[in-house]
Amino acid sequence: MKRDPGMKMRRVIYLRRLSQLFVIALLIVVPAVTMNSFEWSPSRIVLGHLPPPTIRNISGDTWVFTIGGFRFVHPIAFMDGILSARVIYIPYLLGLIIPLFITIVLGRVFCSWLCPVGFILELNQRTNTLLKRMGLNHELRLPDIRYPLLSVMLLLSFILSTPVVSVIDPPHMLGRELMYLFTHHSVSLTGVSILSGIILFEGLSTSRAWCSSLCPSGGGLSILGAKRVLRIGMERQLCTRCGRCDERCPYNLEPMRLLEDEPGFDWIKCDNCGLCRDVCPTGAIKYMFRRR
Amino acid sequence: MIARREFLKGIVYVGAIGLLPLNFHGPVLRPPGSGRDFLARCIRCGQCIEACPYDSIRALDITAGAFIHTPYIDPLRTPCYLCQQRGPDGKDRPISRYLRCGEACPTGAIKRIRNTKDVLAEVPEELKIGVSVLNRKICLAWQYDSCGECYYNCPLRDKALRDFPPNEVIVGATGIRPWVDPEHCIGCGMCNYVCPVKEYIARSVMDRSIKLTFFEERYAAMVRNLIGSAGPGVRLPAIRVVLRP
Repeated sequence: MKRDPGMKMRRVIYLRRLSQLFVIALLIVVPAVTMNSFEWSPSRIVLGHLPPPTIRNISGDTWVFTIGGFRFVHPIAFMDGILSARVIYIPYLLGLIIPLFITIVLGRVFCSWLCPVGFILELNQRTNTLLKRMGLNHELRLPDIRYPLLSVMLLLSFILSTPVVSVIDPPHMLGRELMYLFTHHSVSLTGVSILSGIILFEGLSTSRAWCSSLCPSGGGLSILGAKRVLRIGMERQLCTRCGRCDERCPYNLEPMRLLEDEPGFDWIKCDNCGLCRDVCPTGAIKYMFRRR
Repeated sequence: MIARREFLKGIVYVGAIGLLPLNFHGPVLRPPGSGRDFLARCIRCGQCIEACPYDSIRALDITAGAFIHTPYIDPLRTPCYLCQQRGPDGKDRPISRYLRCGEACPTGAIKRIRNTKDVLAEVPEELKIGVSVLNRKICLAWQYDSCGECYYNCPLRDKALRDFPPNEVIVGATGIRPWVDPEHCIGCGMCNYVCPVKEYIARSVMDRSIKLTFFEERYAAMVRNLIGSAGPGVRLPAIRVVLRP
């Protein structure tokens, strides 16, 4: 059955790519506009030759972002921060409101619409298929250990009084390396090796293996968005059971299961990326605002 | 047999302790405004590093263990300018409403400090990040009566750094004899930064591949003499910032 040309559907992936590219552009533009373009030396101070420094009220990355006097705080950054500090700081709490609201209502949209590392890993799927063709890919299937990993890390943050998730969160790591590259013209070996290690790991195992089974902050967002309102839904009479959505889903969630009366669909894991909706030839899969 | 097992056990324990993310290479200067609970509150977001108008704040690397990516100030590379800009008249003027690192910090690890004209006059207690110590044995001003750069460049001139020690009588002094008042010293590291008693300046006398500025060239020969006579093991430069006890 062909798609009706009259009701031409806009593909969500274009919007999603646009928002991901916007985040990556922000990660580069924000440190670029705040950086100083000159070098300092003692003789400059002694002679009083100090050019005016650049001050912009915009800084941060996906972990905490500041614009003007306003902050956006990643919900897991907030949990990590208060567990290690054991104090609630009111401006920090205020920055949490909008991201937490978005996560609770729209689900884990951070992972699919904003995360820069998620974007890189999505592009990396081509490498994955290439390696599969060359026979280098082992199709390593990992169990979903995001929730235990997150709980252990949050417990460690509480015991050691050190925010552990903040240190290893990959999108934050990417933002930090880009920021440090602009401000101090260097990158840290730790960040670069962990990020390239994740990309390599993805290439050698199943696609999106990090996002679906290891990422602790993604797991936390999954739990927060478990009772969300925005979901994908299936119109049963339109479905032709072609199975394209099952092939396309990056987390192997099999959206065809929604046809059954008692669907064994893993709602918590779905991040509303809309790939199944785009690939559906009849438009049976749609975004729907409803509670489960 | 048992002894060997104990030994192996010991190795495993020591290895485990070494792997624990708690080892640290030494005390460092934190940005101004960081309190006692700084390390627990800092979520390594890096916004102070980004906000710093003079790029003075750097991040620690993996050798700091659990303190990885926490901000610090290395006054030998870039001192803290306390968000001031020095005009042609030599006076410092504030360039922002708050000190930028405290303004950018989302968790309150670095406290907000209002940056007015009075901030250098009053010196609030939370602004102090360290204190300078002067080694008179290798100080050019004390030994050769010739330098005084730390005194001239101190943002708290005549308060934190005086040109003469208040309770000492020095016979035959004509120039500046820098003296640090620990009551007022912030520990911004400007004196540390401009002090010419540095190893590369001494080495430049013989090593022509080291390019010096005019300011450093003036003192190079004297610095070489002083460092040579002070012998090995002396901590450079002559005026250093250390943490407050």
